[in-house]
Amino acid sequence: MADSVIEVVDVHKSFGDNHVLRGVNLRVEKGQSMVVIGGSGSGKSVLMKHIIGLLRPDSGRVLISGVDITRLDKKHLYEIRKKFGMLFQGAALFDSMTVWENVSFALTRSGMKDREARMVAIEKLRLVGLRNVEDLMPSELSGGMRKRVGLARAIAHKPEILLYDEPTTGIDPIMADAINELIIKMREELNVTSVAITHDMHSAYRIAGRIAFLYEGQIVEEGAPDEIQNTSNPLTKQFITGSFEGPIKVEGISVS
Amino acid sequence: MLRFLALLGGIILRFTETTGRVLLLLLQVIKMMLIPPLEIRNTFKQALEIGVRSVPVVLVTAVFTGMVLALQTYTGFKRFGAEALVGSVVALSMTREMGPVLTGLIVAGRAGAAMAAELGTMRVTEQIDALETLATDPVKYLIVPRFISGLVVMPMLTVVADMIGILGGYAIAVWYYHTSSILYWKRAWDYLELSDLYGGLIKASFFGGMIALICCYEGFYTEGGAEGVGKATTGAVVISFMTILISDYFLTAWLIA
Repeated sequence: MADSVIEVVDVHKSFGDNHVLRGVNLRVEKGQSMVVIGGSGSGKSVLMKHIIGLLRPDSGRVLISGVDITRLDKKHLYEIRKKFGMLFQGAALFDSMTVWENVSFALTRSGMKDREARMVAIEKLRLVGLRNVEDLMPSELSGGMRKRVGLARAIAHKPEILLYDEPTTGIDPIMADAINELIIKMREELNVTSVAITHDMHSAYRIAGRIAFLYEGQIVEEGAPDEIQNTSNPLTKQFITGSFEGPIKVEGISVS
Repeated sequence: MLRFLALLGGIILRFTETTGRVLLLLLQVIKMMLIPPLEIRNTFKQALEIGVRSVPVVLVTAVFTGMVLALQTYTGFKRFGAEALVGSVVALSMTREMGPVLTGLIVAGRAGAAMAAELGTMRVTEQIDALETLATDPVKYLIVPRFISGLVVMPMLTVVADMIGILGGYAIAVWYYHTSSILYWKRAWDYLELSDLYGGLIKASFFGGMIALICCYEGFYTEGGAEGVGKATTGAVVISFMTILISDYFLTAWLIA
């Protein structure tokens, strides 16, 4: 128990009539790389937002290094947030700032001088394989570059936990694999605990230490990648093989 | 009848809900204003955006408003031989009413719309969530600087509008209608009290704060992608205009009393 960095305990969350999370349980141990897979609308993003405290559950607990963040006030929540780095699906770079200002945002906010912050930003950008982009604006970057800048921003303040929201969605396959490679590199070089959510199985197998399958607001199966690959659970099997036929039905389309 | 009542109820519910949420945001903004560090760099940037960039439009609007006021009063007052009072009518109208209201409408249309669109875009592209994950309070970082800028910059712009409006009136009264230049200034000055100017500036500051608050609210709580940003922007401008015009009446009544 002592080693679990993230612990999600029986979390429920509804938006209006839409019961998105229906008792999610998930444990991530220190240094582990957890990948949560699941279809669109299965509640993956909502789960991730609970882990970093952007959303509060209707019931249940979210423990970060043993601290229940669902009961924290803003000030203490922001302290806990400093342990996190998050890469957003669309990178979510600040449009009004240059690349280096984006990367060093958390550092300048906590009082680092511009000169030094810029140096750190350049170093982090090199770590994700980008050079001579520090003075560009985010709008001048390609999708893959934006994601890498987003990753540089997420690691700039040396977080203990990295969250990846659909890291390979919306970029070409080669760039996607480069991002996978970076995620592995981050784990090896920075020794962080990470949680990624994705529906890209290729990516999941590459980066995961463990895989959890989220279906209809619950984790239906969790295991090492090879266990998931050889699963006997029909739901998981259908999802990982990407088959249209099986127990999971696509509304409005039927098998002829 | 039942459908009408349901519609009416819906409108009232939405109105009270929105008002309540705007007030809650105001409380949050005030609380955040009191907690250091102050966002000085950001506040100056916003003041520049709201203030300096609005000056050209304010100038054009004010000068033509002053001109048309002089034109109307001169032709009207000539009928009973009071054309010498043009100066005081222009000065009083500009400082008490036209200056703050027109400047408010300009700032709402220009800077307010920009605020709603920018914050709305930040919301739908998850930039506001990103601020949260980087341990930065988005209300403090984004809304407080805009609110303070609105409060401070609007009176400044209004002073400019008042002066330029009075000069515009002068141009018409003196150069076009050839009334006495000395009389224009004397009448403008004689009947103008300091409280007229103050009253106008209090209104201006109130409008500035309300514009920033409403437009930030609309942007901050945007939902539904690009379409949502469009809706938020339109909503921000329309609600700001209504708020300015309606609150203007009540503020004036309060200031006169």
